[in-house]
Amino acid sequence: MAKARALDRRRRSVRNIRKITRTMELIATARFKKAMDRSVAARDYTKQLVKILENIASVGADVVHPLLDVRPTKRSAVLVLSGNRGLCGGYNSNIVRQSVAILGQWRNEHVDTDVAVSGKRGISALKFRGIDMDERYTAFEDKPAFDAVMPIGRAYLEAYAAGKIDRLDVVYTRFHSIARQEAVTEMLLPLKAPEIAGASAAGSTAGTTSGSPKAKLASQEYDFYPSAESILEEILPASFLSRLFKCFLDAAVSEQVARMVAMKAASENAAGLIKNLSRRYNRARQSQITGEIMEILGGVEALKK
Amino acid sequence: MAETTGSRAERDGDAFGVRCVIVTPEMTSLDTRARSVTLPLFDGQRGVGRGHAPFIGRLGAGEVRITGEQGGAADAVRRVFVEGGFVEVGHDAVTVITQRAVPAEKIDLTQAREQLEKIQGTVATGDEAIATKMQAENTAREVVRIAERGR
Repeated sequence: MAKARALDRRRRSVRNIRKITRTMELIATARFKKAMDRSVAARDYTKQLVKILENIASVGADVVHPLLDVRPTKRSAVLVLSGNRGLCGGYNSNIVRQSVAILGQWRNEHVDTDVAVSGKRGISALKFRGIDMDERYTAFEDKPAFDAVMPIGRAYLEAYAAGKIDRLDVVYTRFHSIARQEAVTEMLLPLKAPEIAGASAAGSTAGTTSGSPKAKLASQEYDFYPSAESILEEILPASFLSRLFKCFLDAAVSEQVARMVAMKAASENAAGLIKNLSRRYNRARQSQITGEIMEILGGVEALKK
Repeated sequence: MAETTGSRAERDGDAFGVRCVIVTPEMTSLDTRARSVTLPLFDGQRGVGRGHAPFIGRLGAGEVRITGEQGGAADAVRRVFVEGGFVEVGHDAVTVITQRAVPAEKIDLTQAREQLEKIQGTVATGDEAIATKMQAENTAREVVRIAERGR
């Protein structure tokens, strides 16, 4: 009986694990939906900013701004966005791998690097690899608030303006679709010049060839208060902040997706394990019964003689 | 004939007033149609009605007043505090792009006053710090003012 009972005990514990992973999967699904909604809701802001930028560009304002200057990198900053919790497949380890790669690159080029890490998992993994961190955040969960991201972004803007950093890279998990997220390193500072050259060129050619002059017309009608330059000065930091915020949102969505997928796989594995254990348990029990019957029969045979 | 009137009605509109949209980095916090919208531009207020010439402007801290919302009383006013940002006025749409938008009735007056006092209590040295402090103080004062008027 001993073997069958041990199998049964194992089966019970696997069942409990399946309950837990199944629940985590459901929670992650709910959180993912919420995070996704937030991420979708945040898109409007970026869209409107881009629209204004395009308008400014098309009136031919010179797009010159310290945030757009590309300087040789002497000091760089890296912000790593990882999760506070594990049990989400390769989510955190992919991020750690990416960040170790970029940090190694800066070290090889002898560039001083200011490292900031969000998420307990990333913090402990990088600490284990002996990387010094200047800043640690653990407050970001599945609903990053803009108010919480803003001070971080502001600090980077100030450091960049003061020349304390020449470049900012963010390591985060970009969300393409439910089926695809990838850990990426994205340069946020200096800001990439908005698609100005392309947009205005396309606008002017379209205007002359009477293709779709609407875009050009619309932009020329706008007045600017106080001036296009002054608006540009304000809008670039805003667009940087919104891009940084988007990184946080993407990371949050991706984490939930990763956890959802990992927990689904875990539940399925547990189901397989239970099936296997059940089969072995039944077989063990059957052979035990057979054994007992054989013993009894043996006893009966012995008595007959 | 009927067709032309039909198409004109379609073109002119959704015919009621201007569309007013307030977007913040987190979400689109308001999307409505109203008779007119008063905007806190960086150097003063400006009212926008239907057919206003298109412009893009910088906003200061202050309240956006939305008068005569569709489906409400003609003189009903909805007030939303915004902290800087931009506005894009198109042919019949006003889009406010701001980092923070709080409906006036949701501002906590005591909290706003505390915030103002806290800012007034800090000492700023250096040009930049002074400018930042002044800006923060103005914003806080504006918040208090709006909250007070809501009483």
